[in-house]
Amino acid sequence: MLKNLFPRLARFRFTVQIIMLFVTVYGGALLGSYTVDRISKALPSLSCAYDKMTGDHCILIVNQHQLHHRAGAALAKAGDVALNVFIPTLMSVGVFFLFFFFLNKAFCGWVCPLGTVQELLYKIGRRIGRPLNRFKQENVGKVRPVKWFMLLVLVLGLPTLAGMGTVANELGDPFCQVCPSRIATTLLTADTEQLAVRTGTGINFFLGALGNALFGFIIIAALAVRQPFCRICPLLSWNALFQKLSPMRLVKKDAHDKCAKCGVCEKACPMDIHEIGTSFGSKAFHEDCTLCGRCAEYCPDDDVIQLKFFGFKLFGSSRDYYKARVKFETPEGQPKKRVIPILRAKENA
Amino acid sequence: MKILYSICLLAACAGTAVAAEVQHDHGAMMHSQSKLWTQLPLLKPRMKGQDIASRSVSILPQNIAAAAIEAWSNDLHDANGHRQLSMEMGGAPLDKPATGGFQMLTAREVQGDTVRVASTVHYFGERGGKNPTAMFDQVKHELEIVPQPYPREHSRYRANEDWQFAVRFKGQPLAGHKVVLETSNGSRAEFMTDAAGVANVHVPDDFNTETVQSKAGSHGMRRGADFVLAVSHADGGQQYLTAFNSSYGEDAYSNRSLTMGLGFMLLGMLGAAPLLRKRQAAAKNEEPSNA
Repeated sequence: MLKNLFPRLARFRFTVQIIMLFVTVYGGALLGSYTVDRISKALPSLSCAYDKMTGDHCILIVNQHQLHHRAGAALAKAGDVALNVFIPTLMSVGVFFLFFFFLNKAFCGWVCPLGTVQELLYKIGRRIGRPLNRFKQENVGKVRPVKWFMLLVLVLGLPTLAGMGTVANELGDPFCQVCPSRIATTLLTADTEQLAVRTGTGINFFLGALGNALFGFIIIAALAVRQPFCRICPLLSWNALFQKLSPMRLVKKDAHDKCAKCGVCEKACPMDIHEIGTSFGSKAFHEDCTLCGRCAEYCPDDDVIQLKFFGFKLFGSSRDYYKARVKFETPEGQPKKRVIPILRAKENA
Repeated sequence: MKILYSICLLAACAGTAVAAEVQHDHGAMMHSQSKLWTQLPLLKPRMKGQDIASRSVSILPQNIAAAAIEAWSNDLHDANGHRQLSMEMGGAPLDKPATGGFQMLTAREVQGDTVRVASTVHYFGERGGKNPTAMFDQVKHELEIVPQPYPREHSRYRANEDWQFAVRFKGQPLAGHKVVLETSNGSRAEFMTDAAGVANVHVPDDFNTETVQSKAGSHGMRRGADFVLAVSHADGGQQYLTAFNSSYGEDAYSNRSLTMGLGFMLLGMLGAAPLLRKRQAAAKNEEPSNA
């Protein structure tokens, strides 16, 4: 029955994404105002705490607050770093890991509301005939370190320094101030407050202006680039730290010599992970992988690429599936032109 | 009783004179210092300690003579879910339950045929709190004002917003009843409850440059002002007066510019616009281009 409902993994994933978009953006309105004051408060995807209806929010705002209000303040007291200061941080990471353990980076590819919004924009871009701008193998490496910079500086560094009093207090949650998901998800609830730039201090204004410009850039770029923000998202790097600790993973068998020459899985990857075409074993599960499963969908060889949980195959590539899949969409996500049967009948007549 | 009342007032004044509070700026838990700007009964949370680790909270009754504060945690099944906080010189210390979350606090004064109740909500931003709906729904006193809902974490009452409050007597909604609002900024307004006993309260925008304190919080929320809602009702020869107080902040768009926000968003859009142009070779071949 599940196969009838969801003949393609892409359709199943899209359904999950839309459900999760509603849970993460409107969950409070659907599940009750308090929703136990968010479900986990440590979701491994960019669900925004500034969204007044959200059902849950991402771990990054929690980490920034904890470093700002607890760890930073304790470090400033030089030696007064009591264990109980770090317990809340460990608790948050623990709750995060409870979720993460089961789905791994599928939180990026299946749950994240900003990821879904970018994918929807990319689909619109295909429909209106915009080009696809991909990162070549020699260029993609220049973008990848940015996500680590975002994590180390905006999520971990500046909040800690703000807590220590070394930098301005407004830098207590700098990532949230520039995160496009903050604006995207609140706009989806018809709330324009986060779109309005703060003018209270120079730092507030700078961060707000940067965040808005980034948001504007992302929503236009997403029409022609797949998942533009995901590539620099600190949650991608945060999740990458834990990806080897989850039993949910992507695996690729070293099938035959021609495998590395085919390259269809590379074209299908929305994160331009060229390594998926040339690497095998654990190396194929790259730090930028969001477990969307498109590479497995577009691999024309049986069971060469698989999504596995505790060693059990959840989905594996197959030639028959590949043949059916490419009838609907190219690996790059361009929908195939389909002739409506009634029009074909007219043409034949 | 008068002596007790005097002690409470003295404690309130002492609390007000305590050095500036250091508070986490999650809106729902912010309370500003205030003078006795109303005659209505209030419960004022007072924070002590410079950081979260060393912070403690005391509840100060104002305009009400109460020997103790009653506290309800959001875990009603917990043995300590409903407890009495004994009064000390600086107020009644509020313990933080392991689950944190929302705490409903009330003080009750009975003088002759008059029953006065002060109530407020304090929020501990700890993980694992249970859904507080059952706690809010539980009948605690004869006449009650119940927030519907209370602002969540990262939210608060703010000027120019409408918030709903249920008024009930012995658990039943009081329809067509007058609810009075007073603020520490000097506003006064009246609202009526509807058929379900719910009053839609518009928080006034009564901040001015003198009342706005310059110190901004880390989430762009400023320390605000206080408001109190009150309702009175007579039944069986007794007069009931119940108040609910909390704090509120400035208008959501205060110190923000939507125009500039839109401007910077458009700037970012312009920056990405070249990506939308089809390259000639790519257009010819209808093949994806490369960045």
